[in-house]
Amino acid sequence: MLQIKNIHASVNNKEILKGINLAIKAGEVHAIMGPNGAGKSTLSSVVAGNENFEVSQGNIVLDGEELTELSADQRAHKGVFVSFQYPVEIPGVSTTNFIKTAVSEKRKALGLPELAAKDFLKMLREKAALLQMDQKFLSRSLNEGFSGGEKKRNEIFQMAMLEPKLAILDETDSGLDIDALKVVANGVNALKSKDNAVLVITHYQRLLDYIVPDFVHVLHDGKIIKSGGKELALELEEKGYDWLIK
Amino acid sequence: MKKYTEEDLKEDLVNQEYEYGFYSDIEADKFPNGIDESVVIALSKKKNEPQWMTDWRLEAFRIWKSMEEPDWANVNYEKPDFQAISYYSAPKSKPKLNSLDEADPELLKTFEKLGISLAEQKRLANVAIDIVMDSVSVATTFKKTLAEKGIIFCPISEAIQEHPELVKKYLGTIVPQTDNFYAALNSAVFTDGSFCYIPKGVRCPMELSTYFRINEGGTGQFERTLVIADEGSYVSYLEGCTAPARDENQLHAAVVELIALDDAEIKYSTVQNWYPGDENGSGGVYNFVTKRGICHTNSKISWTQVETGSAVTWKYPSCVLKGDNSVGEFYSIAVTNNHQQADTGTKMLHIGNNTRSTIISKGVSAGKSQNSYRGLVKINKNAKNARNFSQCDSLLMGDLCGAHTFPYIEASNSSAQIEHEATTSKIGEDQLFYCNQRGIDTERAIALIVNGFSKEVLNKLPMEFAVEARKLLEISLEGSVG
Amino acid sequence: MDNNDIKIAFDAFIKQHAPDVLTAKRKEAFETFTTKGFPTKKIENWKYTSLKAVLKPNYATVNTVSDNTLEQVEALLAAKSETYKLVFVNGVFQEQLSDITEEINVFSNVLKASNTEINQYFDTISDSSEAMVNLNTAFASSGAFITLANNKILAKPIELLFFAKAETPVFLQARNLIRVGENTHANIIEKHINLGEAIVLTNAVTELFAAASSHVQYTKLQNDSLLSNLVDNTSVSQQKDSIVTVNTFSFGGKFTRNNLTFHQYGSHCDSVLNGLSILDGKQFVDNHTLVNHNVPDCESHELYNAIYDEKSTGVFNGKVIVKQAAQKTNAYQQNKNILLSDTSNVYAKPQLEIFADDVKCSHGCTIGQLDDKVLFYMKQRGIPKAKAKALLFYAFANENVKAVKIPALRNEITHIIASKLDVTFDLEV
Repeated sequence: MLQIKNIHASVNNKEILKGINLAIKAGEVHAIMGPNGAGKSTLSSVVAGNENFEVSQGNIVLDGEELTELSADQRAHKGVFVSFQYPVEIPGVSTTNFIKTAVSEKRKALGLPELAAKDFLKMLREKAALLQMDQKFLSRSLNEGFSGGEKKRNEIFQMAMLEPKLAILDETDSGLDIDALKVVANGVNALKSKDNAVLVITHYQRLLDYIVPDFVHVLHDGKIIKSGGKELALELEEKGYDWLIK
Repeated sequence: MKKYTEEDLKEDLVNQEYEYGFYSDIEADKFPNGIDESVVIALSKKKNEPQWMTDWRLEAFRIWKSMEEPDWANVNYEKPDFQAISYYSAPKSKPKLNSLDEADPELLKTFEKLGISLAEQKRLANVAIDIVMDSVSVATTFKKTLAEKGIIFCPISEAIQEHPELVKKYLGTIVPQTDNFYAALNSAVFTDGSFCYIPKGVRCPMELSTYFRINEGGTGQFERTLVIADEGSYVSYLEGCTAPARDENQLHAAVVELIALDDAEIKYSTVQNWYPGDENGSGGVYNFVTKRGICHTNSKISWTQVETGSAVTWKYPSCVLKGDNSVGEFYSIAVTNNHQQADTGTKMLHIGNNTRSTIISKGVSAGKSQNSYRGLVKINKNAKNARNFSQCDSLLMGDLCGAHTFPYIEASNSSAQIEHEATTSKIGEDQLFYCNQRGIDTERAIALIVNGFSKEVLNKLPMEFAVEARKLLEISLEGSVG
Repeated sequence: MDNNDIKIAFDAFIKQHAPDVLTAKRKEAFETFTTKGFPTKKIENWKYTSLKAVLKPNYATVNTVSDNTLEQVEALLAAKSETYKLVFVNGVFQEQLSDITEEINVFSNVLKASNTEINQYFDTISDSSEAMVNLNTAFASSGAFITLANNKILAKPIELLFFAKAETPVFLQARNLIRVGENTHANIIEKHINLGEAIVLTNAVTELFAAASSHVQYTKLQNDSLLSNLVDNTSVSQQKDSIVTVNTFSFGGKFTRNNLTFHQYGSHCDSVLNGLSILDGKQFVDNHTLVNHNVPDCESHELYNAIYDEKSTGVFNGKVIVKQAAQKTNAYQQNKNILLSDTSNVYAKPQLEIFADDVKCSHGCTIGQLDDKVLFYMKQRGIPKAKAKALLFYAFANENVKAVKIPALRNEITHIIASKLDVTFDLEV
């Protein structure tokens, strides 16, 4: 489904990604691990299309479609979703209103008719229940005054509403206590299907106990230096990264 | 341009003596440009006004002549040439409309663009509309329903004829002829406007609404609005303005006076969308408006202003909180783009005991525009337990615009409690990217963020106006971010 | 004193002073002053402040110093804290009472020979749009002339002491030019003290240049007698990475007008404006501040607190201008006022003028009283009202006092506050 081919990316003229290759098939869960500064978050930004990162080489292809030249919103319409490490706050814009806008923009881009208000509300309630979101959060300004855990839950809730093909979870476990982590992971697992894929970016192995990856990749200094099955994550937890970095 | 003198007038009176005065053979019934006492007299005569009204206008004109155009506001513009303005203009042909559908198609087009076509308006069963096209009222609806409750809602010219005692008693009491340069000019030459009286204890059952529009090129608009809410009554009044594109600057100097007697409440909402000039700053309306209300005991006046139009705006809807326990509110959102300049705000004058005021002012600047908030909160010596809360927030888009805040806070009573807060910030790139990632394009994202920023003010508008206001905000920020 | 009296005084002044490096500048400044005259309420910046009563007396502009006065000053100084002092009495520098060095000098010592520093710095950042500044420049001849070298940490604070003692009303002009070298740290204290029974009007102008990475704290302790009037104009120029704090404590004096202007010329500088006024009787204090953010990545922090009792009046006019180039500016301003009496007045005008978009600016202004609920809560916990008030006042004033770096000065200020508010703080500051 997703092919990342030899991606080189830099920010402020400093090269961060130095040739990343990664292929993800529908129905798979991939995890990217690595020490701080390895380029993990840069990878998610580059796939999402953040213009602060300059891609000098390589392609990103989703379902045979070239994403590299598309803007972030166009990529989102194609099915790319990022659960951000630090979700922003938007004062005065309610969560419901925000998601409604996002859903209808996506439907518009895909040439689908506007979702009837009734159907939208039904979906909103179902997904909120899945994430054990209190209804009152829906009418509050997006992420404003939310705790770290609430923000992360809201990210996965939006993922549920937007039904992406590829979900990138960027350090979703940071700032979550164990109970919130379980809720978030359950949400992600419930949304997993044979038609979509998940890319988990994490520093720690803990999240991978709950969202079990099919493949684990180690990112270091802008390159994937090792790939393996889920047991690689456990090995990293035990030994750290030093044995891989010579 | 040639000045219209008293001599000219005399000559005209000799040559063209018939019922409607002058120039009715010309397609647009319009005075030649220029102003002097004879023009004021002629205008008053034309409107068949009683002598007291003519005298009042003349007094105002003499005051105006002794005044200088103010220049303290944070705006730059070419001062209007008052001799190059025509002080009276009626629509091209006097339409006698049986239904609103017969109104000028041009007018309907403008309304349609905003999604508030007259046809739609008509269907909005609860809105009575007194349309002021240029200077003469062309259609009034719902008069009957209102009349049953004893509510008077009519053009002020009609009120001068039909209800002289009310007009005489209240006109110029809140905004005297001497108040300022533009108020004096308006007092001398106002052509028409709305008059509204709500009797004691009556709650007006519908939103009263007026649409103003500047139609004739080069015609100054001098509207006069007088709203009187008698003891224990309530009224919500909506005012909306649109104007088609123009090349030359047009002057608009309206006066609005609100009187809330004991226990009464007036809610006055404005959506202002006059032509702001093109992207190079040429053309556009000058909007120099004096709006003020007085609150008697236990009464309340609430101003809600949504402004996206005009090249230069100069406007400070104010409340004189004279009665004990009276309440003044001001909610405003001003959006400026391209070369627009806005210097707006409010004055809250606390005179009575336990008076309260709230000011929420939101400014959005884009393009090369300048957006200023100027406000005064004054607590008089004898105003015990007065309270004020003010919040002024500015949002900047692009690095060529400016946002400025000039609040004046004056307290002379130790029991006063005043809180003023102001912030300035920009739309964050991270906010835009977050929206983009969720599939919302940048333009939509800005609209969303600006709407969120303006929410506290938009929420104060009546429902049907809120929709229109939201659209206006989006239209006026179109193309502001590349 | 009117515009004509000042003309006579100026002519006499020029005649008395042999031509020196400033003569031409003085004449030019006086011309400018003459066209403007003394400021009136018609000028927006003087909207709430009238000089009418202040200018009423028939001021003398030249004064002598008696031996008695000098003895009195000397006795006062003997008890004073450890500082480098520059002492002026009735505008005349007193070398025998001062700690003059090559770096810490006075104007009267540098005016004779041509001086490149004067040419380069004098009257370059002062607010020449203010008539009172023009007037000061016209009479400039007395005050501190300080040039601190690079990379120095001053062992003691510098104290500028302006004494006055006269039989009849006297008008004094003080002029300070202070330059702080790169990476140098300095503390400066300024006081005006009227020892006599006659009315004094002081018109002071200070120009402070802070070089890159310098740290300067300038404290004005305004606790003069009720016969004293002060118009002060202080301008600060900052280069990159410098931190300048100006503390303005206004407790005494009958009439005080402070104009404080910051110009940021280098990135990453921080300007701190810290003011506290505690007034009673018919005292009047007007604080006008202006921060010019000219360059990116700078900050300003402004906190002005005030307590007004009896018939006192306070004005606060704080302006922050962020120029188009000054992206990433953070500017904060807060003005808090407590009114203790129905006959006191406060006029506040916090202003923001912003021409850059990537900025964080805020201002807040409050006017109120001590919270009755809080007083009651404290009472319920057994704290008597007087004590509770003292605690609350202390907390309020301490927001400003804690910024003072010199412990002795901090103590001095705390004592003045305690006696002014008639409360006892038994808390060590």
